[in-house]
Order: sequence, then structure tokens, then C-alpha cells
Amino acid sequence: MSSDARRRILIVDDDDDFATAIKTFLELHGYEVHRAADSRAGVIMAQAVHPHLVLMDVIMEERTAGFFAVQNLRHTPGLEQVPVFVVSSVYAAAPDFRIKPEKAWLAHDDFFSKPVDLTALLKAIAGRIGGDGVGALAPNPGKTK
Amino acid sequence: MKTLKLPKWKLDLFAAVLQRFGDVHAPVARGDEFVFQRLEHWSDARLDYTRTIVPPKKYFLPPKEQLFTYDAHGYHPSVTGLEKRLVLFGVHACDIYGLNMLDEVFAEGSYPDPYYKARRRNVAVIGIDCVPDEYCFCRSMRADFVEKGFDLFFYDLGDYYFVLVGTAVGDDMVLATESLFEAVTAEDIELYKRHSEDKVALFKTDLELRHLPEIFELEYQNKMWDELGERCLACGACTVVCPTCYCYDVADTVGLGECKGERERCWDSCLYSSHARVAGGENFRETQADRVKFRMYHKQRGFVVEHGRPSCIGCGRCEVTCPVDIHILDVMNQMREVAHVV
Repeated sequence: MSSDARRRILIVDDDDDFATAIKTFLELHGYEVHRAADSRAGVIMAQAVHPHLVLMDVIMEERTAGFFAVQNLRHTPGLEQVPVFVVSSVYAAAPDFRIKPEKAWLAHDDFFSKPVDLTALLKAIAGRIGGDGVGALAPNPGKTK
Repeated sequence: MKTLKLPKWKLDLFAAVLQRFGDVHAPVARGDEFVFQRLEHWSDARLDYTRTIVPPKKYFLPPKEQLFTYDAHGYHPSVTGLEKRLVLFGVHACDIYGLNMLDEVFAEGSYPDPYYKARRRNVAVIGIDCVPDEYCFCRSMRADFVEKGFDLFFYDLGDYYFVLVGTAVGDDMVLATESLFEAVTAEDIELYKRHSEDKVALFKTDLELRHLPEIFELEYQNKMWDELGERCLACGACTVVCPTCYCYDVADTVGLGECKGERERCWDSCLYSSHARVAGGENFRETQADRVKFRMYHKQRGFVVEHGRPSCIGCGRCEVTCPVDIHILDVMNQMREVAHVV
């Protein structure tokens, strides 16, 4: 059973190295972090841990898996409103694929291209669900208030 | 009409972005058959499907819906879900033709249906070309091509889709992913024309429509209807799967001792014995033969009088669904034979 004392974040990403790095980084900043390695597992795990926020990759078992997983979360009772940040290299994989305006499409709340700017990501997470958002790895903690 | 092309390898990206316009529904496999439902993964979509069990009419005329509630203060229209935006991806031309016919009945008549119109407004339709199987006779019914009723229409031309833009919403979809689409060339247009010509040869079933309304008029008393009535089980399956069968029943539910209630409508079938029964027990279509005949006449003759063409679109659903093999093609060909007009 997850504790309510800490903010819970679910990382849905099939890249072990990336997921491990982000998980470690966020745990150092006081978040409770769970991880699923594909979009189907991500939706199931979200139902189990009820995260305060989801970090969703796009290109997983399918090239658009993350985009559809966001919609699946929106159709899951109790998870309709959970904030979802898409963290993806889809722009690098499909260079002529761009979305206008970048942050106004689909049902996610924010979009971060990989390689992700950890400071910006942490700031966005803290701004959205709270938590200290600052720590030893954050280079400019003063800007995260 | 604006035309564009979309390389096939970009289709999944386009479908993902479509979610901006609503939940994306598409044909998916259910056993050996297909149904329209919300896509949970793009790979679930089966754009090579033959036909879905139930046509897209279910999105516009739900099998059962509450119309309004009422109490001592008046009535309160039910609007829940009417504003929900959907994208139907992969609708065949014949089914779009069927929707256009439902539009004539529910959206364009003297008394437009606000529930139907709201759903039609909020459900985007993306058509896709198909390969006819042995049950398809949409070409005979002139329903193998549509010039309206869709927002986008995709034709498979090998490595890419030739895309017709039908509405401003379709244009918005293209603009939302502008970088995915490309301009068509003269060669693309030539290929599209050849593809359309080649498709004609793929139809294995043909039906001669000439004089059918007149033949129906003359053969009203034919014994063939009694034979069909003997065979028909009155299961109503053909009406459920028909894209243009729209008969419904309306019922009120009122609580005992309460000054409030609700009114619902649900699909009905003219093949049910209760369909034409009225207060006092009188039934205008007493026998199953009467009911089978009524359905055929409404499709092939009554609709012609009102709307200028039969309401059958040749999708083949009733052909594959009838448990006792009553085939509309056989019925119509038999009609020609008994009338000595072949």
C-alpha cells in the first residue's frame, strides 16, 4: 500500500536506463516513484498506485502507445483527472511530425522532449503536484518556488 | 474538393493526433468479425475489415436512450453525452451513404431530431475505401461512392492514402498535423482514377434495380410473401444490423404514486409482431408474411417514393446475418422472375 505522505509519480517508459535515472532523481527529491515498462502495464499500475502524476513515454510497444495510453487513463475511473506529462523522443523519431500548438493537443498536461531538461521537469512537477522540487541535484533551486 | 495524400507509415501518428478531436473509434476484430469501438491501441484498428456486425448508426441512434424526464414542473430534456466528441475512423462508403439517408429522416425533415443532430454534429467521420466480398452489392445500390457525409475519406493507393477533405473539421484535422500530409500530383490523381476503375471489377454480386418499384407494386399479392413469412423467425437481426433501419419504440416509466417519470426510446423492428399492434389489440400487420413484406416494401419501394431511391445500401449485413438465409438479393431477383422482368 502506498503512503499518502509522499507525492506518488508513475513513470511509464520502456527505456530502462532513462526510467531508472529519472526514478532515482525524483526519489532524491522526495517523491515516491513507481515504474511500468509499457503502456498496458502503465494503465494497470496507475489503477493500483493512484499516482498524483504520470510521466508517459510515447514510443513503447507501438510508436504511438503513449498517446493512446493517455486516453486510456482518461477513461479509467479515478484517473480521469490525473496530470500526465508526456516525455518522449517522438519528434526525433519522426522529424517531420510536429503538433501545433505543442501543448494544446491531446489530453496530457505538458510535453517534454527527450533528452529532458531535469530542472524544467522537476519545476513543472513541483508546480503541479507539490513537493520540494528542489534538492542537491537541482542546479538552480531558487527558480523553483 | 480538396485532395491530399498521406504516406502510410505516418497513419499511426495521424490517428494519435486525431484524439484531439475526440475519442477515436475504429473497427476492431471480435472473433472472426468486426465491431466499431474505442481504440485502446492503434494496432487494434483493422482497416482491412469487411463489415462490422452493427453499422455506425449505433453512435447516432443508440439502441436505448433517455429522451427526457418529467415532473410536476415540466419536462427536462436529457442531454447527457450528446456533446461528447468522437472520431469514427475507417467507415466504408456504403455506411456513410447509410448515414446520409438517416440524415434525411432525422436531420433534414420537417421535424428534425435534436438528439440525432447533436450526435451527428459531434461525431467526426473518416471514411476508408474497401475491397468488396461476395456479399457486397453496394455498387448496384449506387452506394459505393459518397461525395458527402464524411470529414475525410482515405483511398488506399499502395504506399500512401489519397485523401479527400470533405468538411472544415476534416481540414482542421489536416492542419493539426499539417506536416504529415503532402500535396497530390497529377500522377496521384491518375492512379486514383485507375484504382476506382479497377475496383468495379472486384464486385462479385450485381443487382438489377430497374423497374423494381413497379414490380413491387404489381406483386403485392404474390404467394412468395407467404413463403417468406413461413421461413422468417421474426428475430429482427436483419433490422438490427441494417444501416438504414431506424424504427424505434417509445416508452414511459412512471413510479407508482410519484409525479415524475422518464421517457425512453429503443430500437424496434417491423418484423416483431408488436410493432404494428395498437391500443385495443388491433394489429395492422397480423402475420409474419405481412411483416416481411412490409420491410421489403419500405426498403425498396416506400423509400423510393419519399426519397427518390431505395434505402438498401447493399452492405450485405442482412445477407450474412439472417439465420434462415432469407437473402434480399434472392428476393429481388425472384420478384423480377415472377414478374417476367429479368
